[in-house]
Amino acid sequence: MTTDTLHPLAAEYLARLRRAGRGLPPGRRRELLAEIEAHLSEAIDPSASDAQALTVLDKLGDPEAIIAAETPRLDELPAPRGTREWVAIGLLLFGGFIFVLGWFVGLILLWSSRAWTTRDKWIGTLVIPGGLASSVVIGLIAIGAPTKKICHAFNGGGQHCTNAAGQSTPSSILGVVVFALLVLAPIGTSIYLARRAA
Amino acid sequence: MEARISETAISQLRRGVLEFCVLALLRDGERYSYELVRALGDADGLVTTEGTLYPLLGRLRREGVVDTTWRESPSGPPRRYYRLTPDGQAALGGFVIEWTRFRDSVDALLGNGVLR
Repeated sequence: MTTDTLHPLAAEYLARLRRAGRGLPPGRRRELLAEIEAHLSEAIDPSASDAQALTVLDKLGDPEAIIAAETPRLDELPAPRGTREWVAIGLLLFGGFIFVLGWFVGLILLWSSRAWTTRDKWIGTLVIPGGLASSVVIGLIAIGAPTKKICHAFNGGGQHCTNAAGQSTPSSILGVVVFALLVLAPIGTSIYLARRAA
Repeated sequence: MEARISETAISQLRRGVLEFCVLALLRDGERYSYELVRALGDADGLVTTEGTLYPLLGRLRREGVVDTTWRESPSGPPRRYYRLTPDGQAALGGFVIEWTRFRDSVDALLGNGVLR
Protein backbone atom coordinates (compact mmCIF):
# COMPACT_ATOMS: atom_id res chain seq x y z
CA MET A 1 0.00 0.00 0.00
CA THR A 2 1.78 3.14 -1.15
CA THR A 3 0.79 6.74 -1.41
CA ASP A 4 1.12 6.46 -5.21
CA THR A 5 -2.35 4.95 -5.30
CA LEU A 6 -3.82 7.89 -3.38
CA HIS A 7 -5.50 10.98 -4.78
CA PRO A 8 -3.00 13.89 -4.60
CA LEU A 9 -5.14 15.73 -2.04
CA ALA A 10 -5.43 12.55 0.05
CA ALA A 11 -1.64 12.09 -0.07
CA GLU A 12 -1.21 15.69 1.07
CA TYR A 13 -3.65 15.12 3.92
CA LEU A 14 -1.78 11.99 5.00
CA ALA A 15 1.54 13.86 4.97
CA ARG A 16 -0.01 16.54 7.21
CA LEU A 17 -1.29 13.86 9.57
CA ARG A 18 2.15 12.23 9.66
CA ARG A 19 3.77 15.55 10.60
CA ALA A 20 1.15 16.38 13.23
CA GLY A 21 1.59 12.95 14.82
CA ARG A 22 5.32 13.23 15.53
CA GLY A 23 4.73 13.48 19.27
CA LEU A 24 2.71 10.25 19.51
CA PRO A 25 4.11 6.94 20.76
CA PRO A 26 5.54 5.27 17.59
CA GLY A 27 3.26 2.22 17.69
CA ARG A 28 0.10 4.27 17.98
CA ARG A 29 1.22 6.66 15.28
CA ARG A 30 1.88 3.78 12.88
CA GLU A 31 -1.50 2.13 13.54
CA LEU A 32 -3.38 5.39 13.18
CA LEU A 33 -1.64 6.26 9.91
CA ALA A 34 -2.36 2.76 8.53
CA GLU A 35 -6.06 3.09 9.36
CA ILE A 36 -6.42 6.59 7.93
CA GLU A 37 -4.50 5.61 4.80
CA ALA A 38 -6.85 2.65 4.29
CA HIS A 39 -9.80 5.01 4.78
CA LEU A 40 -8.45 7.48 2.24
CA SER A 41 -7.74 4.89 -0.42
CA GLU A 42 -11.19 3.39 0.02
CA ALA A 43 -13.13 6.67 0.16
CA ILE A 44 -11.35 8.62 -2.58
CA ASP A 45 -10.73 7.16 -6.00
CA PRO A 46 -7.38 8.37 -7.39
CA SER A 47 -9.24 9.72 -10.44
CA ALA A 48 -11.91 11.53 -8.37
CA SER A 49 -12.38 15.27 -8.79
CA ASP A 50 -10.81 17.62 -6.27
CA ALA A 51 -14.29 18.60 -5.07
CA GLN A 52 -15.15 14.96 -4.31
CA ALA A 53 -11.84 14.47 -2.51
CA LEU A 54 -12.32 17.63 -0.44
CA THR A 55 -15.79 16.50 0.61
CA VAL A 56 -14.36 13.26 2.03
CA LEU A 57 -11.48 15.10 3.72
CA ASP A 58 -13.88 17.61 5.31
CA LYS A 59 -15.86 14.76 6.82
CA LEU A 60 -12.67 13.21 8.14
CA GLY A 61 -11.76 16.42 9.98
CA ASP A 62 -8.49 18.25 10.69
CA PRO A 63 -5.41 16.00 11.00
CA GLU A 64 -4.54 17.98 14.14
CA ALA A 65 -7.94 17.13 15.69
CA ILE A 66 -7.38 13.42 14.98
CA ILE A 67 -3.94 13.56 16.58
CA ALA A 68 -5.38 15.37 19.60
CA ALA A 69 -7.94 12.56 19.98
CA GLU A 70 -5.15 9.96 19.76
CA THR A 71 -2.91 11.67 22.34
CA PRO A 72 -2.89 9.52 25.50
CA ARG A 73 -5.20 10.81 28.17
CA LEU A 74 -4.03 11.30 31.74
CA ASP A 75 -5.70 8.14 33.00
CA GLU A 76 -3.91 6.06 30.35
CA LEU A 77 -0.41 7.14 31.33
CA PRO A 78 1.70 4.86 33.55
CA ALA A 79 1.28 5.26 37.31
CA PRO A 80 2.21 8.86 38.19
CA ARG A 81 4.16 9.77 41.30
CA GLY A 82 1.99 9.37 44.35
CA THR A 83 2.38 9.92 48.06
CA ARG A 84 4.74 6.91 48.34
CA GLU A 85 7.14 8.40 45.81
CA TRP A 86 7.18 11.80 47.53
CA VAL A 87 7.83 10.13 50.89
CA ALA A 88 10.65 8.08 49.33
CA ILE A 89 12.29 11.21 47.88
CA GLY A 90 11.87 13.09 51.18
CA LEU A 91 13.35 10.27 53.25
CA LEU A 92 16.29 9.72 50.90
CA LEU A 93 17.12 13.41 51.27
CA PHE A 94 16.44 14.04 54.98
CA GLY A 95 15.96 10.52 56.41
CA GLY A 96 19.62 10.33 57.45
CA PHE A 97 18.86 12.84 60.22
CA ILE A 98 16.23 10.47 61.64
CA PHE A 99 18.83 8.16 63.26
CA VAL A 100 19.99 7.14 59.73
CA LEU A 101 17.06 4.69 59.82
CA GLY A 102 14.84 7.13 57.88
CA TRP A 103 17.16 6.88 54.89
CA PHE A 104 16.86 3.09 54.81
CA VAL A 105 13.06 3.35 54.88
CA GLY A 106 13.34 5.76 51.92
CA LEU A 107 15.55 3.20 50.19
CA ILE A 108 12.95 0.45 50.61
CA LEU A 109 10.22 2.76 49.23
CA LEU A 110 12.48 3.70 46.30
CA TRP A 111 13.17 0.11 45.28
CA SER A 112 9.57 -1.07 45.76
CA SER A 113 8.11 1.73 43.59
CA ARG A 114 7.20 1.11 39.96
CA ALA A 115 7.61 4.79 39.09
CA TRP A 116 11.37 4.48 38.52
CA THR A 117 13.65 2.37 36.34
CA THR A 118 16.46 0.30 37.86
CA ARG A 119 18.95 2.93 36.69
CA ASP A 120 16.99 5.68 38.49
CA LYS A 121 16.95 3.54 41.61
CA TRP A 122 20.73 3.07 41.57
CA ILE A 123 21.22 6.82 41.18
CA GLY A 124 18.84 7.39 44.10
CA THR A 125 20.79 4.86 46.17
CA LEU A 126 24.36 5.91 45.39
CA VAL A 127 24.07 9.73 45.22
CA ILE A 128 24.55 10.02 48.17
CA PRO A 129 24.01 7.13 50.64
CA GLY A 130 22.53 8.73 53.74
CA GLY A 131 21.41 11.84 51.85
CA LEU A 132 22.00 15.30 53.29
CA ALA A 133 23.03 13.91 56.67
CA SER A 134 26.08 12.26 55.06
CA SER A 135 26.88 15.45 53.17
CA VAL A 136 26.83 17.48 56.37
CA VAL A 137 29.00 15.00 58.28
CA ILE A 138 31.54 14.59 55.46
CA GLY A 139 31.50 18.33 54.74
CA LEU A 140 32.14 19.28 58.37
CA ILE A 141 35.07 16.86 58.51
CA ALA A 142 36.48 18.30 55.29
CA ILE A 143 36.30 21.87 56.58
CA GLY A 144 37.16 21.10 60.17
CA ALA A 145 40.10 18.72 59.75
CA PRO A 146 42.83 21.07 58.45
CA THR A 147 41.98 23.76 61.03
CA LYS A 148 42.25 21.28 63.83
CA LYS A 149 45.53 19.91 62.59
CA ILE A 150 47.09 23.34 62.40
CA CYS A 151 45.63 24.20 65.78
CA HIS A 152 47.43 21.25 67.25
CA ALA A 153 50.62 22.09 65.40
CA PHE A 154 50.59 25.52 67.00
CA ASN A 155 49.95 23.79 70.24
CA GLY A 156 47.15 25.80 71.31
CA GLY A 157 44.92 28.55 72.39
CA GLY A 158 42.16 30.55 70.73
CA GLN A 159 44.34 33.20 69.05
CA HIS A 160 46.73 30.69 67.54
CA CYS A 161 43.83 28.86 66.11
CA THR A 162 42.40 31.94 64.36
CA ASN A 163 45.76 32.67 62.80
CA ALA A 164 46.13 29.08 61.77
CA ALA A 165 42.71 29.13 60.12
CA GLY A 166 43.76 32.24 58.22
CA GLN A 167 46.84 30.51 56.92
CA SER A 168 44.96 27.46 55.79
CA THR A 169 42.54 29.50 53.62
CA PRO A 170 43.13 27.55 50.38
CA SER A 171 42.20 24.23 51.96
CA SER A 172 39.19 25.93 53.65
CA ILE A 173 37.92 27.12 50.30
CA LEU A 174 38.40 23.63 48.94
CA GLY A 175 36.48 22.33 51.93
CA VAL A 176 33.60 24.72 51.28
CA VAL A 177 33.47 23.71 47.61
CA VAL A 178 33.44 20.01 48.53
CA PHE A 179 30.78 20.75 51.13
CA ALA A 180 28.63 22.62 48.59
CA LEU A 181 28.96 19.78 46.07
CA LEU A 182 28.08 17.24 48.73
CA VAL A 183 24.95 19.20 49.64
CA LEU A 184 23.93 19.85 46.03
CA ALA A 185 24.40 16.24 44.86
CA PRO A 186 21.58 14.68 46.92
CA ILE A 187 19.31 17.67 46.18
CA GLY A 188 20.00 17.17 42.47
CA THR A 189 19.19 13.47 42.85
CA SER A 190 15.86 14.36 44.51
CA ILE A 191 14.92 16.71 41.68
CA TYR A 192 15.93 14.05 39.15
CA LEU A 193 13.84 11.37 40.88
CA ALA A 194 10.84 13.70 41.16
CA ARG A 195 11.01 14.42 37.43
CA ARG A 196 11.52 10.80 36.40
CA ALA A 197 8.51 9.74 38.40
CA ALA A 198 6.29 12.46 36.92
CA MET B 1 -23.06 31.82 25.66
CA GLU B 2 -26.03 29.52 26.23
CA ALA B 3 -25.51 27.99 22.81
CA ARG B 4 -21.90 27.23 23.67
CA ILE B 5 -22.81 25.51 26.93
CA SER B 6 -25.27 23.18 25.24
CA GLU B 7 -22.70 22.51 22.51
CA THR B 8 -20.10 21.20 25.00
CA ALA B 9 -22.80 19.21 26.77
CA ILE B 10 -23.84 17.57 23.51
CA SER B 11 -20.26 16.82 22.47
CA GLN B 12 -19.62 15.23 25.87
CA LEU B 13 -22.77 13.16 25.51
CA ARG B 14 -21.65 12.02 22.07
CA ARG B 15 -18.22 11.08 23.35
CA GLY B 16 -19.69 9.02 26.16
CA VAL B 17 -22.15 7.17 23.94
CA LEU B 18 -20.08 6.63 20.78
CA GLU B 19 -18.02 3.70 22.01
CA PHE B 20 -21.20 1.76 22.78
CA CYS B 21 -22.51 2.56 19.31
CA VAL B 22 -19.34 0.92 17.94
CA LEU B 23 -19.97 -2.13 20.11
CA ALA B 24 -23.61 -2.22 19.00
CA LEU B 25 -22.57 -2.18 15.33
CA LEU B 26 -20.46 -5.28 16.01
CA ARG B 27 -23.25 -7.18 17.76
CA ASP B 28 -24.25 -9.07 14.62
CA GLY B 29 -20.74 -9.93 13.50
CA GLU B 30 -17.42 -8.44 12.48
CA ARG B 31 -16.93 -5.32 10.38
CA TYR B 32 -13.86 -3.54 9.13
CA SER B 33 -12.81 -0.04 10.18
CA TYR B 34 -14.05 1.87 7.17
CA GLU B 35 -17.49 0.20 7.38
CA LEU B 36 -17.75 1.11 11.06
CA VAL B 37 -16.68 4.68 10.51
CA ARG B 38 -19.08 5.17 7.59
CA ALA B 39 -21.99 3.64 9.51
CA LEU B 40 -21.38 6.00 12.43
CA GLY B 41 -20.70 8.96 10.13
CA ASP B 42 -23.94 8.43 8.27
CA ALA B 43 -26.03 8.37 11.46
CA ASP B 44 -27.60 11.80 11.91
CA GLY B 45 -26.05 14.02 14.59
CA LEU B 46 -23.77 11.34 16.04
CA VAL B 47 -20.32 12.17 14.64
CA THR B 48 -18.89 15.52 13.56
CA THR B 49 -15.44 14.38 12.41
CA GLU B 50 -15.08 10.80 11.17
CA GLY B 51 -11.30 10.85 11.62
CA THR B 52 -11.52 11.05 15.41
CA LEU B 53 -13.28 7.66 15.41
CA TYR B 54 -9.99 5.92 14.63
CA PRO B 55 -8.40 6.93 17.95
CA LEU B 56 -11.62 5.69 19.59
CA LEU B 57 -11.27 2.31 17.85
CA GLY B 58 -7.68 2.13 19.09
CA ARG B 59 -8.80 2.75 22.66
CA LEU B 60 -11.43 0.01 22.43
CA ARG B 61 -8.72 -2.40 21.25
CA ARG B 62 -6.48 -1.50 24.17
CA GLU B 63 -9.40 -1.87 26.59
CA GLY B 64 -9.98 -5.37 25.25
CA VAL B 65 -13.66 -4.92 24.35
CA VAL B 66 -12.89 -5.58 20.67
CA ASP B 67 -10.46 -7.87 18.86
CA THR B 68 -9.04 -7.20 15.40
CA THR B 69 -7.51 -9.05 12.47
CA TRP B 70 -6.05 -7.64 9.28
CA ARG B 71 -7.25 -9.32 6.09
CA GLU B 72 -6.55 -8.76 2.42
CA SER B 73 -9.34 -7.02 0.55
CA PRO B 74 -10.45 -7.97 -2.97
CA SER B 75 -9.59 -4.42 -4.00
CA GLY B 76 -7.16 -1.98 -2.43
CA PRO B 77 -5.26 -2.09 0.88
CA PRO B 78 -5.75 -4.73 3.63
CA ARG B 79 -8.66 -4.20 6.00
CA ARG B 80 -8.75 -4.34 9.76
CA TYR B 81 -11.74 -6.36 10.95
CA TYR B 82 -13.24 -5.74 14.39
CA ARG B 83 -15.31 -8.12 16.49
CA LEU B 84 -16.69 -8.07 20.03
CA THR B 85 -14.87 -9.89 22.82
CA PRO B 86 -16.83 -11.41 25.74
CA ASP B 87 -15.86 -8.28 27.72
CA GLY B 88 -17.28 -6.12 24.95
CA GLN B 89 -20.50 -8.08 24.90
CA ALA B 90 -20.90 -7.65 28.67
CA ALA B 91 -20.15 -3.91 28.41
CA LEU B 92 -22.73 -3.48 25.68
CA GLY B 93 -25.37 -5.46 27.60
CA GLY B 94 -24.83 -3.28 30.68
CA PHE B 95 -25.00 -0.09 28.66
CA VAL B 96 -28.25 -1.06 26.92
CA ILE B 97 -30.00 -1.43 30.28
CA GLU B 98 -28.58 1.82 31.69
CA TRP B 99 -29.24 3.76 28.51
CA THR B 100 -32.90 2.71 28.38
CA ARG B 101 -33.44 3.94 31.94
CA PHE B 102 -31.52 7.15 31.28
CA ARG B 103 -33.32 7.90 28.03
CA ASP B 104 -36.77 7.25 29.50
CA SER B 105 -36.08 9.49 32.50
CA VAL B 106 -34.68 12.34 30.41
CA ASP B 107 -37.53 12.05 27.92
CA ALA B 108 -40.06 12.15 30.73
CA LEU B 109 -38.44 15.23 32.30
CA LEU B 110 -38.03 17.05 29.00
CA GLY B 111 -41.65 16.20 28.11
CA ASN B 112 -42.87 17.73 31.37
CA GLY B 113 -40.77 20.82 30.76
CA VAL B 114 -42.37 21.31 27.34
CA LEU B 115 -45.91 20.85 28.71
CA ARG B 116 -45.40 23.58 31.28
